[in-house]
Amino acid sequence: MKTTLKLLLLACLLGAVVSVPVRAQSQTPVIQPEVDRRNIRIPKINVDDIEIGLYGGVLSVQDFGANSAAEFRAAYHLTEDFFIEGTVGRSTVSDESFRRLGIPIFTQQETNLDYYHLSVGYNLFPGEIFFGKNWAMTSAVYLIGGVGSVKFNNENSTSFNFGIGIRVLPADWLAVRVEMRDLLFESDILGKNELKHNFELVLGLGVYF
Amino acid sequence: MRAEPTGYLIIGRFAKQLWLLVLLLLSFSVCADETFERVSVVDPYLELRTGPGRGYPITTIAERGESVEILGRRTDWFKVRTARGKEGWVVREQMERTLTEAGVKTTFRDVLVEDYLRRRVEFGFAYGQFESDPILTAHIGYRLHDNFLAELALSQVPGDFSSTSLFYASIVSQPYPDSDWSPFFSLGYGKFNNKPKATLVSAIETNADLANAGLGVRYYLTRRFVARFEFKQHVTLIDFNRTDSFKEWSLGISAFF
Repeated sequence: MKTTLKLLLLACLLGAVVSVPVRAQSQTPVIQPEVDRRNIRIPKINVDDIEIGLYGGVLSVQDFGANSAAEFRAAYHLTEDFFIEGTVGRSTVSDESFRRLGIPIFTQQETNLDYYHLSVGYNLFPGEIFFGKNWAMTSAVYLIGGVGSVKFNNENSTSFNFGIGIRVLPADWLAVRVEMRDLLFESDILGKNELKHNFELVLGLGVYF
Repeated sequence: MRAEPTGYLIIGRFAKQLWLLVLLLLSFSVCADETFERVSVVDPYLELRTGPGRGYPITTIAERGESVEILGRRTDWFKVRTARGKEGWVVREQMERTLTEAGVKTTFRDVLVEDYLRRRVEFGFAYGQFESDPILTAHIGYRLHDNFLAELALSQVPGDFSSTSLFYASIVSQPYPDSDWSPFFSLGYGKFNNKPKATLVSAIETNADLANAGLGVRYYLTRRFVARFEFKQHVTLIDFNRTDSFKEWSLGISAFF
């Protein structure tokens, strides 16, 4: 144990000492070229690959029933196919039905369920949705999945999630999304450690920047 | 029986703030300035699609010699407006073969390796194993020098019996920063906190100082992204006579700016 640590430390020190200078010193040329520089202007184009949105819906927590959930999300569109998305969300869980039987689970009747995760999305089916005869909106069905963390009844657990959603764009800068996901995490809240499935259905508005 | 007020309250409670945020977001996107770049088409024609992707249908074209306005960009697609007022999305490969108004070839350059070498700020996430438990880490780094990076990291280890969080600052040395596969070494110092699960009896919370040394490699993926693989040895200094050590490995992705 100690030796690995020592070796690592030594490697770090070596790395710092051996660090190679990156660029060679530029020497002044013997002949000074006289060139008319052309003014190249890089076109200024507004790039909007970032999508920021607010989501609301229902989260059904296993053993505890369904409750509303609110989420804040930020996504970065890497290519036309892939995007990565970070989510922070909160729902409340009530143990009312357990209390009715006289076995309260939480210290208070309601407790927060906080979660955050980082997911990767893949746009599967690009298409269009038609509203009447004059309005067509581009759409895409996407698959999404990732890892994160859940804080439930003051306990943290790793979570996994996967789901499917549809994104409709009424305008180029606005996305309306409906998504179904399964949020999985392990919990021993009812005495036995097991993987809980928590289904979520959300509707969200995203704005592109 | 009492009605269940639980869930719907959340949204109600935050509704006002949410709406303010939505309005703020909307006002940002509306305020974009309205002068657009203009280019002329050199290819026989530009294909304009309904959406920014190869799967969307082509609805119109812009012919050679026609001048088009560029309204915006999303990933590798450009939204353009033709002289006849038709709008659509064009792929970057086609846009690269257009000319600016002055007749100069346009440069719709992508994020290149040079940008990677000049980067200053980097942030990312990693997932891995901390002894036998999973670990999630978020980190942000600032480049002080070509070879050195200062980094802050926050990790969470949700274990079966306890959850651990780590917060530390480290100095990272990269001896070969310009190669695609770049090895790095790190030394860090910070705080360690371990909270046993509430369901366990006689659980004691541990707070201690933490030191770590790491060894890893980063690989320049594409555009703004770097993958990194890392091995770390953590040592917690619980008191004068007692230290604990933990091994961690992780795989992550970082974006740089």
